[in-house]
Amino acid sequence: MVSENFIRELESIVGASHVAISSTGIELYSYDASLIKSNPAVVVFPGDTQEVAQVVKAANREGVAYVARGFGTNLSGGTISVTEGLVICMSRFNKILGIYPEDRYAVVQPGKTNLEVQEAVGKHNCFYAPDPASQKVSTLGGNVGENSGGPLCLKYGVTSNHILGMEMVTSDGEVVRVGGPVLDSIPGYDLRGLMVGSEGGLGIITELTLRILPKTETVITMLAIYDDIPSAANSVSRIIAAGIVPNTLEMMDATVIEAVESNKPCGYPRDAAAVLIIEVEGMKTGLKEQADQIQEICMATGCREVRVAGSEAERASLWAGRKGAFGAMAQLAPNYLVNDACVPRTNLPEALEEVAAIADKYHFRCGNVFHAGDGNLHPLLLFDSRNEDDLKRVHKAGWDIMEACVRLGGTITGEHGVGREKQEGMHLVFSGDDLNTQTRLKSAFDPNNKLNPDKVIPLSEPKGQPLPPTPPRTLKRPGGASASGVAEAMAEIKAASASGGSVIPVGAELLETYGNICDASAKPVKSLAMTDVIDYDHENQVITVGSGMSIDDLQALVAEHNQWLPIRPPFFKDGSTMGALAATAVSGPERMYYGAPRDFLMGLQYIDSEGKVISTGGKVVKNVAGYDMTRLLCGSNGTLGMITEGTWRIATKPELCTMTSGTGDLASCSKAAVALMTANLFPVYIAAVPVEGDNWRLTTGFEGLTDVVRHQTDLTSALLAKNGLTDIADKDYDLLTGPFKEYFQGLDQKAYVIKAGAITTKIPELFNGLKMALNGSQPEWFLDFGCGRIYVAVDTLDQQTYDAVCKKIASVGGHIRVDKAPEAFKRSNDVYGTLPRPEWKLMHAIKKALDPKGVFAPGRMQGKI
Amino acid sequence: MDIREQYDAIAQCNKCGFCQTACPIFRSTGNEAGVARGRLALMRAIIENRVNWSKEMEEPLFNCLGCGACTTHCNGGIQTADLIMKGRAVYLEQVGRKPIHKLLFDHLLPYPERLHKAARFAAFGKNSGMSKVAKALGLLKVLGRDFSKAEDLVEKLPTKPFRGTIKPGEYPGTGESLRIGYFVGCGVDIIQQDAGKETMKILQKIGKSVTVLNNCCCGLPPWTYGDAEAAAKLASKNLDIFSSGSFDVIVTDCSSCASFIKKYPKIFEKDVTKQAKAKALSPLFKDMVEFLSEHGYPAPIREEPVIVTYHDPCHAVRGQGIAKEPREILKSIPGIEFREMPEANWCCGGAGSYAMTHYDLSMQVLDRKMKNVASTGANFLVTSCPACMIQLSHGVRKHGLDITVCHISELVAGAKAMNAGIKMKKSA
Ligand SMILES: Cc1cc2nc3c(=O)[nH]c(=O)nc-3n(C[C@H](O)[C@H](O)[C@H](O)COP(=O)(O)OP(=O)(O)OC[C@H]3O[C@@H](n4cnc5c(N)ncnc54)[C@H](O)[C@@H]3O)c2cc1C
Repeated sequence: MVSENFIRELESIVGASHVAISSTGIELYSYDASLIKSNPAVVVFPGDTQEVAQVVKAANREGVAYVARGFGTNLSGGTISVTEGLVICMSRFNKILGIYPEDRYAVVQPGKTNLEVQEAVGKHNCFYAPDPASQKVSTLGGNVGENSGGPLCLKYGVTSNHILGMEMVTSDGEVVRVGGPVLDSIPGYDLRGLMVGSEGGLGIITELTLRILPKTETVITMLAIYDDIPSAANSVSRIIAAGIVPNTLEMMDATVIEAVESNKPCGYPRDAAAVLIIEVEGMKTGLKEQADQIQEICMATGCREVRVAGSEAERASLWAGRKGAFGAMAQLAPNYLVNDACVPRTNLPEALEEVAAIADKYHFRCGNVFHAGDGNLHPLLLFDSRNEDDLKRVHKAGWDIMEACVRLGGTITGEHGVGREKQEGMHLVFSGDDLNTQTRLKSAFDPNNKLNPDKVIPLSEPKGQPLPPTPPRTLKRPGGASASGVAEAMAEIKAASASGGSVIPVGAELLETYGNICDASAKPVKSLAMTDVIDYDHENQVITVGSGMSIDDLQALVAEHNQWLPIRPPFFKDGSTMGALAATAVSGPERMYYGAPRDFLMGLQYIDSEGKVISTGGKVVKNVAGYDMTRLLCGSNGTLGMITEGTWRIATKPELCTMTSGTGDLASCSKAAVALMTANLFPVYIAAVPVEGDNWRLTTGFEGLTDVVRHQTDLTSALLAKNGLTDIADKDYDLLTGPFKEYFQGLDQKAYVIKAGAITTKIPELFNGLKMALNGSQPEWFLDFGCGRIYVAVDTLDQQTYDAVCKKIASVGGHIRVDKAPEAFKRSNDVYGTLPRPEWKLMHAIKKALDPKGVFAPGRMQGKI
Repeated sequence: MDIREQYDAIAQCNKCGFCQTACPIFRSTGNEAGVARGRLALMRAIIENRVNWSKEMEEPLFNCLGCGACTTHCNGGIQTADLIMKGRAVYLEQVGRKPIHKLLFDHLLPYPERLHKAARFAAFGKNSGMSKVAKALGLLKVLGRDFSKAEDLVEKLPTKPFRGTIKPGEYPGTGESLRIGYFVGCGVDIIQQDAGKETMKILQKIGKSVTVLNNCCCGLPPWTYGDAEAAAKLASKNLDIFSSGSFDVIVTDCSSCASFIKKYPKIFEKDVTKQAKAKALSPLFKDMVEFLSEHGYPAPIREEPVIVTYHDPCHAVRGQGIAKEPREILKSIPGIEFREMPEANWCCGGAGSYAMTHYDLSMQVLDRKMKNVASTGANFLVTSCPACMIQLSHGVRKHGLDITVCHISELVAGAKAMNAGIKMKKSA
């Protein structure tokens, strides 16, 4: 219960008509799309950020807990107030604030639905990749809350790969901005990554900056029809193994086909055991060949027939069936319980068999419609919630399915979230220590446990106590403390921790140390002995290796299966380790196309400040079980723990790498870069380096199937010429070395390397500003238009100049890190800039929660913490 | 009536939330109280004894436009609008109905003459504060929900009803054999008389004879209000009138009336004789749009090209499945450039019998509609329901748009005349 005064206060903040306390109002916010139900005490509908902040402050004074709600379509009880508290409904936050195709981002309010955003950015010839089947009725806030996925995520990744920044209200009622429109996050902990999938437990989002991409030229949609399920599953594995990355690989079984066809027929054959919707998109050139290749694979793996959608209408109809599949179940039974466990793709046939057996055991009819390409199951158990016995059994069946999938190496939830529904399931995949760490993380954001409390992490007995340190109940995590080199490191860290000392995790010690200078007494702990290949599942394109393995060794290893890890970190040396890659999260200009370490790491293990091994994530591509500790550790730069192993997603090697370059002045290069950013092409990078006079050489590259690469380089040559560039030439290059290795080595000769981030269209202005500030110090430059970065290397950098540089970067909304500097400079300066940023406060809180005694790399963080 | 009878239908909702897609009320309020999932949840909560019948149920039950968009997006195909009407009926029994509804449903709607007099009386008397009659009439959507507020509506209110000029009875036509009955809805009778005149012209061209029926209100307003009894009374009165002559077809130029009259058999679920009669007669019934598309129509001559867009009345598109026909008709008229507006089949907010209490909400729905209309750059906004026309005209004035709202009959029959005085818009 809440007090009368509190209600009055809420009314005075948001207006009486935006507060609901009636019995009907409460009932209406006691449910979401899951089976969880519980009454809130009151519901408010704030209209702007300040109102949210005031509501949060008022709730803190009243001592009630609060939960943010979008459109309440989540399937895990994420929006249910389980403590009879306050529901903050964000549905009035429904504006699009700006769309910027040239810089590939859009700013929206979190109450806007996914589809409305798609339609709005579509008008600018762009798209926003995550496309949950519920996109018509799920808000961006909810998508971020759950880290939603959709059919397209097979190719483009899930929500967290596409969120650039946000404004949020923290649990103390303060308004903080995290990230921004720049592709690289603000140096430091990956706060935006952490927020995605946080299920409303870390803050209330009031504005979002999304990454948008130019629309592709064309798409081919196919319906593959099967007489048995294992064949369909087999096709899925084979297609991926062949190195083709379709947009989507969606499966539906006979039960779902029946439901869909009796609801709104869309042409799925009623006598099929399963159908796959397979879609490829890209340049017109070469696409038909890919589609043909897919058809061949399907037919070779027991497919009855492949139909190709002949028109946009046919395509829409195929998708309408898929997107309406959950709801269509209402044709067969009043309710369904949908499970969303994941398994490694190659285990799909077994997983589906297990699901069928479990459904049988509990006497439920079961339909399957799911993201087969990601191994993300969605068994729908049909029942009637009015029947108590049904309800009990259905939960048991759901639990058994989760357990079976975890046993097959998967996870409990791929995209629907843990919420209340799968809370206990967390024990299947995480140890008590892992979970306690997540609790500590939450407390860094929400010390009084008021933000969507009692969700996600299993409750302990008695409440508030840490969970016992039991291992995960079902998931086997090889590696860990038993992998080579780990036990020794654990001992060293434990000893340091016990004696009040500190440590610095180190790898090959070939790199400049990123970050501020550490306390001199900190003892280096080496990862070099951690060289185990813990698991290499080449069919699923996943590898788990120890931190001490060098990147070169890893690339050589996976090359045996024609695979590679698509990261070319600048300044890394031969012998630099995978641990360093994970800890520094460095990526090269290819990030704009492939992604960064945060996008490839699926899970990791690390030694925490008490010397315990903590696990995060897993080995499936979609995984929203718990807070995104993987992303938090990735890029934490040795300040939160020592990463001992990482599980990386790898890819099939492209056939051909070719770059196209042209010369011109800065204005022309920048114009050409923007044209490339918005073109229907897939440039892997867009960067420029200075050449004679005031000219620059702009280079962009393409990596992929030969025909497609050639076609794109042709188009690019024309595009560069049109923008006034000259000396246009193509050149093939080696995939692993990449085009810029030598150039970066050149920059590395200088004493200082500064990395500045800013959006693409601000690069010229930032360059001119920095040039002025660095006047006379003979700077060398690398302009990364695609990712929005400038590297500038100089031999001298005095205090005054550094100030000017920092100010200039701030003036274009950018961020800075000095990647390399002499010790003397580091002693008297903060390499993260002279202007403290508001999000540092959150970073410091995380550090304090996870490393309270400052065991790891003291002094290294922003603000020299 | 007991809402429990609907338990199975209500429990069919699995709360997926897809109804939120296109519910105009939800899209304005963002509140679960205004969407099918919420309304069904509340009725279920009543059945399961978590919520009681009380005034708190009024809002969720009565702010539904009944537009049916939720059903279109419901994968389970739940007929929420129908369930709401039943819920309203129980609400009226349990919580009580207001005297003004009695006045309207029992004493005005059955009698066209009285209705018209009352409207004029209310209109002129409105300066002296809103009379009871005005309030009651406000519930009748054909007068527009802002009936009591709109000055210009009053000025335009014709002194005589349509059937005061064109009296009920048989008129000769120039067609060969078709005997047509013309059902005059309240909207045309009282306000949209121009539309009626054009309809009449077209019917006379096509039919051998046209009989202007002496029908009363079709019954939709009390039905949507949940007063099934009043609706049944009106329906049976009309059925008698239909069977009094021999017609090949009965046409109305109000899509709301048309969709409801087609539903007559459903009203008499408990009266077998009447139901049989309704079943026999309702196939004769055609929406003017259907009639035009089936029988052809006199090709108009347009001198200057104009841009036309079309608003789907809920009772046409979802009520009767009419969507293709009006577009085909409009596109086939020479000199018309047809431009589809976004969300053309979204409700304009003119529906429902909660006119007085939900003014602001209805305006939010209307504003969205007007934005979509304006985006087409059309000169004409065409539709086939007089109630929509009132609401849309209000929107056009409110947003200062240079667009003429008209009935499809007007554009078809009077195409030539309407050129006068139209400024051409630049193509958008
Ligand atoms: C039929 C159907 C199909 C679905 N298909 C998919 C699918 O293909 N892929 C998929 O991933 N999911 C799917 N879902 C699940 C669901 O639609 C998604 O989880 C969606 O992202 C939820 O959005 P919402 O607006 O309804 O959020 P809500 O349910 O309202 O909220 C979800 C979570 O986000 C938090 N949250 C919401 N807004 C904010 C905010 N502003 N700040 C902080 N936290 C916030 C909430 O606290 C809650 O924890 C489906 C659901 C249904 C019913």
